[in-house]
Amino acid sequence: MEPILKIDDVVKKFGEVVALDHCSFDIEPGSITGLIGPNGAGKTTLFNLITGVLQPDSGHIYLKGEEITGRKPYEVARKGVGRTYQIIRIFPKMTLLENLIVVGKGKERKVVERAMELLHLVKLFDKKDDYASDLSFGQQKLLSLAQVLMLDAELVLLDEPAAGINPTLQNELMALIHKLNDEGKTFIIVEHDMNVIMNHCQNAIALNYGQKIAEGSCSVIQQDERLLEHYFGR
Amino acid sequence: MRRRFLENLTLMSHSFERNRIWLGITILMAFLISIPFFASDYWVTLLVLILIYTVYAAGWNLFSGLTGYTNFGLAWFIGVGGYVSTLLIADYGFFWLFAWPIGALFTSIISIGVGYILLRIKGVYFAISMVALTEGTRELFGTEYLTPITHGGKGVPFVAGIRLPTLYWSILLLAFIAIIICYKITSSKFGLRLMAIREDEQAAETLGVHTTRDKIIAFILSAFFVGLAGAIHFTYQNYIDPTFAFNIQLTLTPIVMTLFGGVGTVFGPVIGATLFTFIHEILWAELTVLYMAIFGGILMVLVLFFPQGLLGWMKEKGIVPRIRKI
Repeated sequence: MEPILKIDDVVKKFGEVVALDHCSFDIEPGSITGLIGPNGAGKTTLFNLITGVLQPDSGHIYLKGEEITGRKPYEVARKGVGRTYQIIRIFPKMTLLENLIVVGKGKERKVVERAMELLHLVKLFDKKDDYASDLSFGQQKLLSLAQVLMLDAELVLLDEPAAGINPTLQNELMALIHKLNDEGKTFIIVEHDMNVIMNHCQNAIALNYGQKIAEGSCSVIQQDERLLEHYFGR
Repeated sequence: MRRRFLENLTLMSHSFERNRIWLGITILMAFLISIPFFASDYWVTLLVLILIYTVYAAGWNLFSGLTGYTNFGLAWFIGVGGYVSTLLIADYGFFWLFAWPIGALFTSIISIGVGYILLRIKGVYFAISMVALTEGTRELFGTEYLTPITHGGKGVPFVAGIRLPTLYWSILLLAFIAIIICYKITSSKFGLRLMAIREDEQAAETLGVHTTRDKIIAFILSAFFVGLAGAIHFTYQNYIDPTFAFNIQLTLTPIVMTLFGGVGTVFGPVIGATLFTFIHEILWAELTVLYMAIFGGILMVLVLFFPQGLLGWMKEKGIVPRIRKI
């Protein structure tokens, strides 16, 4: 099966600092892949390159076989890639409903219907006319995910989705991700919480200093010597 | 049976509500249209000024209020629209009815190029570039290269062959249309996208919003309305010169009016322009010497205690429904 995402020998430098050093990997459609590594390993930079926020210095990125290297963010989004941010970025002075409607394409009534549906899904419907800035941290995370779903994204990049929320909400969030995965969505999840990675991801890719140092199913990764040393600190 | 009756009653009262609003608007418009028939020239000219500044403020708000890109070069739109229209009337004998829209079109077409270049710059730097553009154009119009066309510092005194009532009705129509457009846009998806640009431009982009295209469209619309109002403004003044046309006051006043009324709202600019002009007239007439000081005082109170403007404050307090439509 053709990979939904192909990262091909990508290099990104910021002046002298090499954020990504000839990174290559494939993501299979319908998978949930964890992206792990210490802070500064290049994980968020990778997300930025995929979504077009930054351009690689060399290398190629393919989405469903089509080259998206250097495309503008709105183009990549419309091609089916959604992402959330480590620090939540929703639209504070707009209502929840507006936060979703603004993402939608097509007939107004359909868009509003879909927005209401998604608000029900993340259990925020009763707050639909409240400003997004009035929400709690965890609720904002859910709203952010709902925005990505509004895009009808096939590939969803989540940057530390479980960080800073209580275990109950974490479980709800992961359950939602699995439900969406069953419906065919592919996920790449950046996480530091190893429990989340091990319990919910099928595979994982590990980065360090911009290089891919390990890749494979989660059970394999757990045993990997180099990772154990660098990352888990044993 | 009873349920059907209650449902019908609710439906009737909703359309009653909406009909009442339409009735109110019609009465107001009828009143405004009839003003030249019973009021003195003083009142008509005061209203002309209020309406011109309403369009300036609404035009500024349409772009800057929604996208958050503070446009400090409104005078550039006004000056370009004013000059093109004036020169067509004074030097080429155009009829004002054609000169005005041509001036507005010229302004909006050039603003495509300006926007394409300058809208890549964000925040303060965008604001500064627009000021630079305005100052630069003013100087340019006075140089020997352009003076043959623009008459440079001499200015262009002219008469457009239009009576005051006709001018009044024209600007009234323009203001009416401008407000309707602002209303439609602010409650549309396009308006929401512009607001998303203001809230978080990068997040909007990664959610599929074509920010460059949407910014430029809003910029062009703003340019058109402001340029058209500028054309009418200078026709009313019967005179134009570079200092007059590209004056920073023409930029600042509509901005202050919008701040006063409520940035990002539909009727904020209208309320701001109206109240502001009245207060200005009263203060200037009664307290000629002190009016600047009191004016400054009012501005300070505004910025300190009502940064969201009068309408914004009313929405917050619940005096007025907190919806996008107004």
